[in-house]
Amino acid sequence: MKEYLSRSLEDTERIAREIASALKGNEVIAMFGGLGVGKTTFTRGFCAELGFEDGVHSPTFAIVNEYHGGKFPIYHFDMYRVMDEDDLYSTGFYDYLGKGILIIEWSENIIDFIPEDAIHIEISRGEDETARIITRK
Amino acid sequence: MLILSIDSSATAASVALMEDSKLIGEFFVNTDFTHSRTLAPMIDNLLNVTGKSVADIDLVAVSNGPGSFTGVRIGVSVAKGIAFPDDLPCMAVSTLEAMAYNLVLTDCIVCAVMDARRNQVYNAMFSIEYGEVHRLCEDRAISLEELKAEISQQYEGKRIILVGDGSTITMRELMDLPKSVEMAPEALRFQRASSVALCAQSRINSGEVPKKSAELLPSYLRLSQAERERKEKQLADNKSE
Repeated sequence: MKEYLSRSLEDTERIAREIASALKGNEVIAMFGGLGVGKTTFTRGFCAELGFEDGVHSPTFAIVNEYHGGKFPIYHFDMYRVMDEDDLYSTGFYDYLGKGILIIEWSENIIDFIPEDAIHIEISRGEDETARIITRK
Repeated sequence: MLILSIDSSATAASVALMEDSKLIGEFFVNTDFTHSRTLAPMIDNLLNVTGKSVADIDLVAVSNGPGSFTGVRIGVSVAKGIAFPDDLPCMAVSTLEAMAYNLVLTDCIVCAVMDARRNQVYNAMFSIEYGEVHRLCEDRAISLEELKAEISQQYEGKRIILVGDGSTITMRELMDLPKSVEMAPEALRFQRASSVALCAQSRINSGEVPKKSAELLPSYLRLSQAERERKEKQLADNKSE
């Protein structure tokens, strides 16, 4: 387990880059943290590190965005509207596992179905408005 | 009768052409390539090398699940797409039942298993006697543990053969049972379009009427009852906390 302190959006992106730089290409990144806490900012830094700079946005309606052309394929999920395993199955989630990096916003909603070896990233609010605590386990 | 059969229900994908019960061509790949890109070219190639065209096809058969969500949808969509313009008759068969036809000449109990993740498999049991496949239970999602408990009570003295991409995990679970359990050899282990064709042919022979392409639907298995109950309990526990 490792804890990072972020004081700005730029900090969050930098921390995300650090975490992304050590990956092999088939990991599942399960993100936790409420609305406006910086999950998409984290994902933007994360994808930038892997060579995908533009077009990263939260797939709230599409549920999954695919980013190709970087170091690895990245599958960016938003589970905000996924309520049970039938929903999860019908996003094609299981078909993506192992085919690239999966980075998942709102992992809270699929907590029972996250692979055991997934990397957990928890983002919570810090002392002031812009501070964030980012925990990796 | 010329049957075009399609299977893309999991990682492997295949297409076959069977003419009057004779297999005239089959294209099988077992890679991670996306079925949405490979399946249609496979059909095109197969028609080319066998000198057939879509106009020659009398029946489009497809395995419509259980299996991977994306894979099943691609297979059924491709089957619909080919059948629709000329209103070709269609038939959907269970992926698990089709796999039992891989072993059609071996008298045995077929335990068809596809990996459904988290120690669950999609499963159905069949018996094969004198070249005929008999279904012993409905397609279902079941935990490996439950499957083991069930098999331990049955099939005394029978040869049990595993087929499907869940064979390895199931074999591991069943290994210590005092039963004769074996895995089908690699070439017969996975879903094959030729077996989808055999299964469809056998249904036609026993009088089943093909459907229109619009009536073809994917068949997804719902979560097992046990799993649902466990989740409901969990929800109730969370609320009472």
